[in-house]
Amino acid sequence: MQLIINGLVIGSIIAITAIGLSMIYKTLNFVNFAHGDFVAFAAYIAFFANTELGVHLAVAFLIAILATILLGVFMEGVVWRPMRRKKASRTALIIISIGFALVLRNTLLFIWGGSTRCYDIPVRRGFDLFGATITHNQVLVIIVAFILMFLLHYLLSRTMIGKAMRALSDNIDLARISGINVNQVILWTWVIGLGLAASGGVLYGLVTAIRPSMGWYLLLPMFAAIILGGIGNPYGTIVGGMVIGLSQELSTAVLPTEYKFAVSFVVMAVVLLIKPEGLFGGAK
Amino acid sequence: MTELLGTILPYITTILLFASIYAVFALGLNLEWGFTGLINFGHVAFFAIGAYTTVLLNISGCPLIISVIAGVALAGFFGFLLGIPTLRLREDYLAIVTIGFSEVLRSILLNEEWLTRGPFGVHGFDRPFHDVIPYQHYNTFLLILFVAILVLVYFALERLIQSPWGRVLKSIREDEAVPSALGKNVFSYKLQSLIIGSAIAGLAGAMLAFYITYINPCTFKPIETFHAWIIVILGGTASNKGTIVGAIILWAFFSGTKFIDRIVPVPFESHQMGAFRMIVVGLLLMLLMMYKPEGIFGTKEELALSD
Repeated sequence: MQLIINGLVIGSIIAITAIGLSMIYKTLNFVNFAHGDFVAFAAYIAFFANTELGVHLAVAFLIAILATILLGVFMEGVVWRPMRRKKASRTALIIISIGFALVLRNTLLFIWGGSTRCYDIPVRRGFDLFGATITHNQVLVIIVAFILMFLLHYLLSRTMIGKAMRALSDNIDLARISGINVNQVILWTWVIGLGLAASGGVLYGLVTAIRPSMGWYLLLPMFAAIILGGIGNPYGTIVGGMVIGLSQELSTAVLPTEYKFAVSFVVMAVVLLIKPEGLFGGAK
Repeated sequence: MTELLGTILPYITTILLFASIYAVFALGLNLEWGFTGLINFGHVAFFAIGAYTTVLLNISGCPLIISVIAGVALAGFFGFLLGIPTLRLREDYLAIVTIGFSEVLRSILLNEEWLTRGPFGVHGFDRPFHDVIPYQHYNTFLLILFVAILVLVYFALERLIQSPWGRVLKSIREDEAVPSALGKNVFSYKLQSLIIGSAIAGLAGAMLAFYITYINPCTFKPIETFHAWIIVILGGTASNKGTIVGAIILWAFFSGTKFIDRIVPVPFESHQMGAFRMIVVGLLLMLLMMYKPEGIFGTKEELALSD
């Protein structure tokens, strides 16, 4: 039971962070290897605002989201848009993104060092539920994650910009000739994708220690989640994230904890071998 | 003068030893990425497999040369295993799966102490001709041996890529549809390229173990993969000569930053130096891909960079 609760908490974090990865993958047609490091960046910004500036964690949460989005928009302006104009291939974009991942992670390491950090919040005893202990932070993570998923669903299905985003990820050329401002929608994709990633990062910092490599270790589960759920399919990604989170935690019942993320790797390899388009369809 | 030479020479030997190891390591990647267009972000895994297999077999009594061959073969075999689920799909999948594999392998190396001695690492294995070469000349001997291996690998690769087989690889890099329309089994060619590239990385792993005489899981962090990438891209994608020059430049730069604080005061502490080096590697990777993707020795025609 404890493992299931832990799995749901980690699963919802993987789900909301992976949605951004999946959306950008589908819309811009490349894998952003720096996505995990954006997650870590957000956690550090929240940590900085919370401990150094002394603001409440809820405010720090908003500051972190804003800072992450600004960084993403900046990257879109100076790197991704010029590279698209040059008609750079996917492979070039992938290599640039891993270069940026190294820069971002090591900048965090450079400024804050490699030791683990945590927010300045009171530690409260968890409460019992069916023989398992749940902490307040875990409850908070699940509630916020579900609110965000609901907001995303509303955005994608009910608003103009959400529809344009879906159209773009479906077929960028068709979207362009039907009069959609492609660059603007791509910008929105970054804003929403990285906003979700940043929220996931701050939440992740609530249930685990903050360190520069936290995003890196989240990258593999995120990939597993989007491949399982079908790339570009946000609902599939949510299910995939939950499945990966649960299977990682449940694996600790039989395997040493160190092999948690080997589980994502095995799941991913099996899905690629049997049904590479994911359980719920998606990009091939 | 001779005194100055006496202090500088060991540094130069060290740089060249590392450069030759990493040149072999990166030549494997150049075959995969430069000539075939495969994105392998877990190249370090094959480096580690080669090193660990060699030393573990050797300390359990296997002759050195057979241990090395086994290390090379096993690295190639793992290349085969990873290629099967990924090489039929888009190029991103190989990148994702290999990067994952290198992390999983590292946690296996850390945790399966019965096999790998975990974080304590392995030492006390033989080095080639250790009993016949006098100790004070051993590094010089190793350098000659490593350069010989490098030259051998270089010429073997040059022959391979100029053969009809190599031309098929390049055509896959340019446009997969063409060789498959000509009846070539693209998947099989990609798989062969990955196997050979991985086996070469395994050989480099054995070389590294012989030089540093002690290996542990920390020797094989993911960052080593990106050292190979920066070497290939800096030197010039699809240029084996460029890869060798890239390796020398990278190691000269590393040794330079290690000792720079003795010459000019550096405004930050030593543990920040490592992070700083990685920031430089990352930035260099980005800037090269954005502004000079062909590197020093590459040509624009040899780049698979526009769809």
